[in-house]
Amino acid sequence: MFASALRRWLPLALLTLLAFGLRTYELERRPLHADEANQAVKTGELVEHGRYAFDPRDHHGPTLYYAVLPLAWLRGETTLAALSETTLRLVPALAGTCSVLFLFFLARSLGFGPAFLAAALMAVAPASVYYSRYFIQETLLVSFTLAATLATQRWWQSGRLGWALAAGVALGLMQATKASAPVFVVCALAAALVFARRRPATPHLSRNLALIFGTALGVAALFYSSFGTHAAGLRDAVATYTFTSARAAGDSGHEKPWWYYATLFGWEKNGGLIFQQVGFCALAFTGALLAFATRQTLLRATAVYTLLVFLALSLPPYKTPWHVVHLVPGLAVLAAGTLALIPWRTLAVIATASLLFLQFNQTQLVAFLREADARNPYAYVHSSPDVLKIRALAQAALAARPAGAIRIISEEYWPIPWYLRSFPAGSVGYWSTPPADCDGALIIVSAAQASAVRARLHGDYHESFLGLRPGFLCVVFTPVPPTP
Amino acid sequence: MNRSRFSLLLALLALTGAAQAADSVPLQIELPKPLFAGTPRPISLPNLEKPRTGKRPDLMVPAGTINLSKGKTVTSSDSLPVIGELTFITDGDKSGTDGTYVELGPTPQWIQIDLGATAKVAAVAIWHFHSQARVYHDVVVQVSNDAAFKTGVTTIFNNDDDDSSKLGKGTDQAYIEGYEGKLLDGKGAMGRYVRLSSNGNTSDELNHYCEVEVHGSLVK
Repeated sequence: MFASALRRWLPLALLTLLAFGLRTYELERRPLHADEANQAVKTGELVEHGRYAFDPRDHHGPTLYYAVLPLAWLRGETTLAALSETTLRLVPALAGTCSVLFLFFLARSLGFGPAFLAAALMAVAPASVYYSRYFIQETLLVSFTLAATLATQRWWQSGRLGWALAAGVALGLMQATKASAPVFVVCALAAALVFARRRPATPHLSRNLALIFGTALGVAALFYSSFGTHAAGLRDAVATYTFTSARAAGDSGHEKPWWYYATLFGWEKNGGLIFQQVGFCALAFTGALLAFATRQTLLRATAVYTLLVFLALSLPPYKTPWHVVHLVPGLAVLAAGTLALIPWRTLAVIATASLLFLQFNQTQLVAFLREADARNPYAYVHSSPDVLKIRALAQAALAARPAGAIRIISEEYWPIPWYLRSFPAGSVGYWSTPPADCDGALIIVSAAQASAVRARLHGDYHESFLGLRPGFLCVVFTPVPPTP
Repeated sequence: MNRSRFSLLLALLALTGAAQAADSVPLQIELPKPLFAGTPRPISLPNLEKPRTGKRPDLMVPAGTINLSKGKTVTSSDSLPVIGELTFITDGDKSGTDGTYVELGPTPQWIQIDLGATAKVAAVAIWHFHSQARVYHDVVVQVSNDAAFKTGVTTIFNNDDDDSSKLGKGTDQAYIEGYEGKLLDGKGAMGRYVRLSSNGNTSDELNHYCEVEVHGSLVK
């Protein structure tokens, strides 16, 4: 009995371990992206002072920040200065690992093998691994979406209130993670309702639905109101759609053609590096076709859901690469479905092993070898590794001139505030244009403003370059010590 | 010394100077096409060297100076580059497009050109990577007759201001890569080997080379 259970579940345990390992190995190695740094500083405020207020204009939902709290406490990080990249990125890493398990249980109706394969494909998927190591909301949203779908599926089949409650909690967490959550709910509902063959098991459908809806609303309200301490957050949770729709409609600087997300699963050679997921994509596409040739409801629903999500993400001009993580679970299930339908066992094994190897190879490239490289399609306007030098520069500057100021004069400066978080607030200042007094112990200036700042400096300064991100250079001014 | 002898001496000096000047010619370098694809980001006056308008000033080199490095053997601290080959550095293709540059790993890396015999180096032209505005850190260019660069090393350029590459502190200025490359005065340094070091760049931690030209003359 035990041996049989072990044989059955050990592979899943090992897969979970692999997913966790890929998502947590050397989490600090990649410099923080501007978006990560911005959210990290906001999280620091919550960790250090317990303050959080939802900002409907420039930030997504609160779950990401609150999820850091238990990890920070466990790791003994109670201030912004003490907060580490590892602690922050552990949140999406854990969510990403849970996603793999959720997908396995969600796909169980396909059989243990295909469900395991779908989970394995998600465990090693380049986009999933990359953005599970990235302190933004997207992976959390995927995880909560899968959890909500799984709980709803189980509730539908069993009629148990516990699953209804779980579905409500997961839906609430989705909404509290990102304003785009309803898009995925609508896509999932549309796909499920089209192919649902049975009525829900519960005889109290409306009561159950009210429980799900009420729980979701309550959970979302708790987070948006900062657990009852910021009532305006509830109003802002609705107001955020004004800003979100304006962003989605364009003029954000992130406009891309409608086929952009498809290209991320295709073949691209950039600067000698090859980024491709052709095999994965081809198997998933075949899976979508086969879904309609077979009676497999889950495959059909997955195909429709994935297509609807693809359309929903692709139609607005606003596009960023992290959104592709929403397509990975569906593509993984469809690809696994194709592999499971191969009638020749040897061929199926070879195809599966080859696909996993290719996907793993791509993950190694994007998440570990070239994780901040401008050629990496997932490293979107990413910070340069140069930013890792900023803390040491500031330390040296203030050691030489303890009363001096560190001035950051640039139209764009993230993620610098994260790297200077441990310095007293009074010793670091940020300007978007050159102030009257530019002198300081360390002055980091965007290249565009370097000549204006240079004209306002008094005394001798040594100048060097620092890259904020590819194509955006800063000039670093440090006072030349007086000759003895 | 009487006036006539002094006049004769002055005349001789002037003639010698004129003869030497006649032996100096501007170094001719074939430049690749500019490679900033799309609209460049607004980067104005970022170069620590004063921004230049118009043509790059000529570098005067002795007449008879030739490109000694074309097709010569290149070795590197990263002997197995992931992208490109070391032969690209001296193959004459400095276009900078994909497939024409070699990418060396992170941390300080060097490449070394074996000129085949001791040479008097008049100039070194370097194209690291010119399809994006970036600055390579800690660029050091040295010439030596010792392949291990332990003895008889002449440094002709060094902008490693904090000696992070452990090759000595340099005072030369950092510069932004461009299609013209960086043209260095070889100052007549003597040696068979030319070694170039760098320590990542402002965009990533990697080190790239499209082309390196070592101009000079072989010592008979």
